[in-house]
Amino acid sequence: MKILPGGVCEAGSTRVNKTGGWRTFKPVYNYDKCIKCKLCELLCPDSSVNPRDDGFFEFDYDFCKGCGICANECPTDAIDMVLEEK
Amino acid sequence: MKEIRIHGRGGQGSVTAAELLAVAAFADGKFSQAFPAFGVERRGAPVQAFTRINNEPIRLRSQIYEPDYVIVQDPTLLEVVDVAGGLKEDGMLIINSDFDADTFNIDTKAKIMTVNATKIALDIIGRPIVNTVLLGAFAGATGEIEAQSIKEAVRERFPGKIGDRNAKAIQEAYDMMTEAKK
Repeated sequence: MKILPGGVCEAGSTRVNKTGGWRTFKPVYNYDKCIKCKLCELLCPDSSVNPRDDGFFEFDYDFCKGCGICANECPTDAIDMVLEEK
Repeated sequence: MKEIRIHGRGGQGSVTAAELLAVAAFADGKFSQAFPAFGVERRGAPVQAFTRINNEPIRLRSQIYEPDYVIVQDPTLLEVVDVAGGLKEDGMLIINSDFDADTFNIDTKAKIMTVNATKIALDIIGRPIVNTVLLGAFAGATGEIEAQSIKEAVRERFPGKIGDRNAKAIQEAYDMMTEAKK
């Protein structure tokens, strides 16, 4: 990434800093239980829940920090937090 | 003089670990110092913390550039930071990971040991906080410090249940590493 004189960096630099490695637990969908209510997408603090063409959602593991808010708020318990091997 | 460098992420307790190690060494009757170095001061950013242990008073005040031992709290840091930088050839690198030491491609002649500290912490403490567990592993793997001293330092800092659970986790990691060393 190019940093301009004076230490000013271009917009969108957060995309370069992938924070997925911070996770201990990783969220995994059970699409059978998902009712497409969108709560996980709305509540994700890292915008790591992205809509798919079929109306379901998927996680962006490059940026998900594994906070578990989505799993906690999911009304149908369609998200499991799984211990990640690393 | 033994120099220890701890790599972690902001919020993982690297600084606390370095301080507890220094307190434990002091309890062993040695001289010690501990201090951190931050890059950006926010959660998740790579952090280094240093501990020096010596039989004589320590005059040196610089950061540690050629450590005898390195502890890595988070294996994803291996991609971001040169954790083995300056590590002495007869030293040791202790990594918190599920995998075996030979799966890591790290440029060092020092011995690499891994311990699944996250699992121990989750099983015994109930939270994925691995700093005290890794201190137990350090004591077991290097013999530089008594596990009992670390447990006392932890109990003093975290009285009550938390200290007890941490002490149990420290013993578990200590036993695991003394076993792995054989």
